[in-house]
Amino acid sequence: MIGIVGAGVVGSRVAETLRLFSQQQICVYDTEQIIAQRLAGRLSDGKSQISVVDRNTMKSAKVVVLCGPSPHFSIAKELLDSSVSVVSTSDDIADCLNLLTLSQLATENKATLIVGAASSPGMSGLLVRHLAESFDSIDEVHVALHGTGGPACARQHHRALSGQSIGWHDGEWLRRPAGSGRELCWFPEPVGAYDCYRGELPDPLLIKRAFPELERVTGRVTATRRDRVFSRVPMMIPPQAEGGLGGLRVEVRGMKNGARLVDVIAVAERVGQVAGVVAASTAHAFGINKIDEHGAHVLGDESMPNSWLVTQICSAGINLHSFVRA
Amino acid sequence: MKFFRRVLLAVSVASAVAGVIRFKGKGVGAIKQGGWRKVTDPKQN
Repeated sequence: MIGIVGAGVVGSRVAETLRLFSQQQICVYDTEQIIAQRLAGRLSDGKSQISVVDRNTMKSAKVVVLCGPSPHFSIAKELLDSSVSVVSTSDDIADCLNLLTLSQLATENKATLIVGAASSPGMSGLLVRHLAESFDSIDEVHVALHGTGGPACARQHHRALSGQSIGWHDGEWLRRPAGSGRELCWFPEPVGAYDCYRGELPDPLLIKRAFPELERVTGRVTATRRDRVFSRVPMMIPPQAEGGLGGLRVEVRGMKNGARLVDVIAVAERVGQVAGVVAASTAHAFGINKIDEHGAHVLGDESMPNSWLVTQICSAGINLHSFVRA
Repeated sequence: MKFFRRVLLAVSVASAVAGVIRFKGKGVGAIKQGGWRKVTDPKQN
């Protein structure tokens, strides 16, 4: 049985994808029970049985996907204490760092914790590993994200522009003000080109953990002038139920056959959809025993079935686009 | 009046500098030509 905590945009997409993978038993928990019941009613059929359960029942699942707003630390700890493996979609730096501290607890309880299994982080790590296979060695990774998933993701994006970005630069962690460092990045059509700025994203931390050999890692988000000006004040207009078409762009630099090479791969899709598919594919990997290492891990890590995950994600309808120079 | 002239001068100089930076500045490492190709089989890329 696979559990889903949070029945919002990402939770719904996780349930839909698990149903696509023919997962028979899925249980959903949300603090607002009516939302969970609506999701279960919409997706339950002869193929998959989706049931609404309480928080304690989640402890009998094999793996639980945490899709609610961050922080995920307390519920992840609770589940790991009960030897339940956890897939977290958290995109908050502090929360991701706290989750990584649960590695020992997970190992002691013979459980696994996957930190940041969403779009960015998550898909970004998988794409880095995917590109890295065509290099002899890699030393730089630059991630750019456009768009948001549900309301919680939009609030996180708002906070990401007002905090401190963290990036790995020649052997040390550099903190720079978020919203600075404009760079024009091209995403696949129909997203197109957007100005991207440093953001308080956990990607550099998690990617560096999966690829210790990297010398430079940065994370950027797209933003308009209005986003940057109003990022310092609380969100005055409530976010939409779901953001529009988004994009994720991963640029990898390294060496191949003695020459310097830059390769770019990207995804143009709704961010919530990508996050849901990545989280569901990771949970499905637990279901068929593709992940058996205990402790805390991140996607892209050598211990993860990365190429299998990328294939699963593509089979669930997420298209990858490679940049080709003219 | 003197204050007004100084403000006007400062705004003009700032605009000129901003204009020069905007139109003469070079992008660093920006890829200007190319396109996107769909990766049909991720295993083969």
